[in-house]
Amino acid sequence: MLTISRRVGERILIGDGIVIEVIEVSGGSIRLGITAPKELRIYREELWERVKAENEAAARADFSAPAVPQDPA
Amino acid sequence: MTVNSSRFGELEVPSDAVLDFPDGMIGVGGTRFALLSREENGAFKWLQETAQEDLALPVTDPFQFFPDYEVVLSDEEAERIGITDPSQADVLVVVRADEDPGQVSANLLAPILVSAGVGHQVLNEATWAPLREPLLSGGRQEVAAG
Repeated sequence: MLTISRRVGERILIGDGIVIEVIEVSGGSIRLGITAPKELRIYREELWERVKAENEAAARADFSAPAVPQDPA
Repeated sequence: MTVNSSRFGELEVPSDAVLDFPDGMIGVGGTRFALLSREENGAFKWLQETAQEDLALPVTDPFQFFPDYEVVLSDEEAERIGITDPSQADVLVVVRADEDPGQVSANLLAPILVSAGVGHQVLNEATWAPLREPLLSGGRQEVAAG
């Protein structure tokens, strides 16, 4: 993995279309500004991982029994 | 077209039931999914990947369970998928089945928007967008009452 030190206001360029700027550093957290081609998806990793796990679980789950009654008796 | 499904066997699917997913489903991929209705007027449908027989997700219309459900997109997400107003698209949510009916849940965090034969699973920026909301255990009543 490439490791680069940056100060607030400095940027990193990735290829021709992606710019990442350090906006603010406060305590243990860093605010980044990201400019990227609109077709690229940008997600917080932990959110993406949770949705991935949920999709996988939904695809695996046994749906043979009618899970939700149409007309609750 | 003919679609092979590890859940349903060999299926004949009308071409207008096949949706393009340019970016696939989050984390599990796929590119073209057939929207299958397994029973007439049933609450659930399936999105079966047309070339991956073991990738099928049960989905439902969220509004029949959660009338107040809202999908809010970030400007970037709206621009990426070309849908600025989620109400212009059909909305589906992935259902996670469970032996215990009370545990059957819908993924309201990552709904699927479908417009003009193209589908995108997006991240919902709405305040109320749980990853795993029980379909039956009070969610609907609670929302309806609020």
